Amino acid sequence: MASRDVVQYETPLTRGFRWFSGVFIALYLVWTLLPILVMFVSSFKDLLEAFKIPAVGDWSGIGVFFDFTPTLKHYRDLFVNLDFSRYMANSLVAAGGSAVISVILGSMAAYSLSRIDFRGKSDLFFWIISTRMAPVVAVMVPLYAIFRSIDLVGTLPGLILAYTTFNLPFAIWILKGFFDNVPYAIEEAQMVDGATRFQAFVAILPLVAPGVGAFIVLCILFAWNDFLFAAIIGSGGAKTLPVATRELVQPQNIQWGSIMAAGVVTTLPMMLLGLVIRRYLVTGLTMGAVKE
Amino acid sequence: MARVTFRNVWKKYGDFAAVKDLNIDCPDGTFLSILGPSGCGKSSTMRMVAGLEHISAGDILFDDKRINDLAPKDRDVAMVFENYALYPHKSVFENMANPLKLRGQDTGRIKDRVTQAAKLLEIGHLLERRPQELSGGQKQRVAIGRAIVREPKLFLFDEPIAHLDAKLRAHMRGEIKHMQRTLGTTMVYVTHDQLEAMSMADQIAVMHEGELQQLGSPREVYNKPVNAWVAGFVGEPAMNFLTCELTREADRLSLSHPNFSLALKPDQAGCLNGSAGTVRMGVRPDALAISMTRPAEPVITGEVFVTELLGGDMIVEVQLADARIRVKTAPEFAGSPGEACYLSVNRDKWHAFDIDTGRAYF
Repeated sequence: MASRDVVQYETPLTRGFRWFSGVFIALYLVWTLLPILVMFVSSFKDLLEAFKIPAVGDWSGIGVFFDFTPTLKHYRDLFVNLDFSRYMANSLVAAGGSAVISVILGSMAAYSLSRIDFRGKSDLFFWIISTRMAPVVAVMVPLYAIFRSIDLVGTLPGLILAYTTFNLPFAIWILKGFFDNVPYAIEEAQMVDGATRFQAFVAILPLVAPGVGAFIVLCILFAWNDFLFAAIIGSGGAKTLPVATRELVQPQNIQWGSIMAAGVVTTLPMMLLGLVIRRYLVTGLTMGAVKE
Repeated sequence: MARVTFRNVWKKYGDFAAVKDLNIDCPDGTFLSILGPSGCGKSSTMRMVAGLEHISAGDILFDDKRINDLAPKDRDVAMVFENYALYPHKSVFENMANPLKLRGQDTGRIKDRVTQAAKLLEIGHLLERRPQELSGGQKQRVAIGRAIVREPKLFLFDEPIAHLDAKLRAHMRGEIKHMQRTLGTTMVYVTHDQLEAMSMADQIAVMHEGELQQLGSPREVYNKPVNAWVAGFVGEPAMNFLTCELTREADRLSLSHPNFSLALKPDQAGCLNGSAGTVRMGVRPDALAISMTRPAEPVITGEVFVTELLGGDMIVEVQLADARIRVKTAPEFAGSPGEACYLSVNRDKWHAFDIDTGRAYF
């Protein structure tokens, strides 16, 4: 294998560009991380302390942000008085359920589209992704009408079905690309070894693990952060974290402390998921097994 | 172990026939090599035997049992793929154990069989590795190992050593042949390399454009090619072809060419009786002898074009009026380009083919 070193020579232009990128990245980090930091810190502050801010231009007063007595009372409030554990469970079941169903159905559909030729295949494939072209808002009313007539409004299965409707086409598209990259000879070898077609399909699933991992992350993120479906289709019986957080904003009383804590509770699981799934996202698993 | 029979087998892709009316009978324990250039239908043939392609028409039989409609797993064959097709996420051990595991063998037996096969192939020390950590030759051994852990009815090898370097290829030829003789299992071996087919097979099926040209032992295919195509494909360096006129002087039939006029032997003349005009004469480089002085017997006269020393042999290209032909000679040959030279023909080993159809007269 050739060396992977990239040969690069310094010129005033590259030096200037490197300096510029450094500044850009620093600003970008502040821009993305500061709100999260404020949310995190504020969730441990009493309401009075949370609203203490230094005067404009008083940089030495920045210490005020970090000068507080940590308290868990907002978290206690969330889980004891506001029933957030139930909403969290709803979020988990809705996001996880739709991810699992989408992966199972999506991988089978993607495998078929990748391996089998049939009449109208490209049209079918386009139709699958075209279902994602209309904005969610546009289909919301008819979808609500359908769900209502079959009594799925306000239930978890209803919410899972709604998310799956939107995740499945996506799963099929992502996974088909990954299946296309797995050499067919590997399944043929499995079948000659004594596997059924289905066993051969299952045997190559580890080779598309990076695709499955990437899809699961995207699918869960979509469902976990979704507000529109959860508010309209899940309303009532299947309230999820974003909807419950929104309800903390009341006309007379905006519960900033609880909102910040709810924000942390909503964000943390996704960060953990990102860390856990990261090692499955390594590509190049098929390299070296098949000589092309 | 099984006897394999192809009965009027066709493979069609749309209107294109990749395999045309194939009939082969391969007795139990035979090493059958299907030889042909790329696109001749040899791989389609093998894949039909494995069950990876449907058979468009005709039957394939294992021991008189028609297997057309059986799934690959029910055919009890083991296959080695050209690109090895190892399972990249599994260790060498797991790769080799896979066929046994899928057939529900118990762990102890799997371990025994895999260890035994690994020992035979000298890859025992690699069992814990993954395919991407292996060299080409090692991967190829693992692929063979996966085929031999089971005792299948039939081995199918699809150009298994085509991607190895020349030295390793020569080594593996011997090993695969020895392995097949030791296990005694019927083998179908697909290759485009005539040297592999010649050196390993009991029977060679030469295919061209979907049609079986000749089925026979390596000796038959080499010494008695049925047509000019087989004659030109088998043998390295390739056979020389010259367009000659048949001429009759008194009782003797001769092949005439601007550079020579050589009489046919009586039995050869018998084969040509009734045909007239132009024929293609074929003679292998090792059936010619070159000298710089004119011998007493009738010869082909030409001039040296170029000499190639191949270590133990030398190939001399000789310029004739309308063509160049190659002669195999000893490395001591001292002619230089441009000099006149004389080629005597071993007339037991020359051939004549029909100018249009390519069919061999003798």
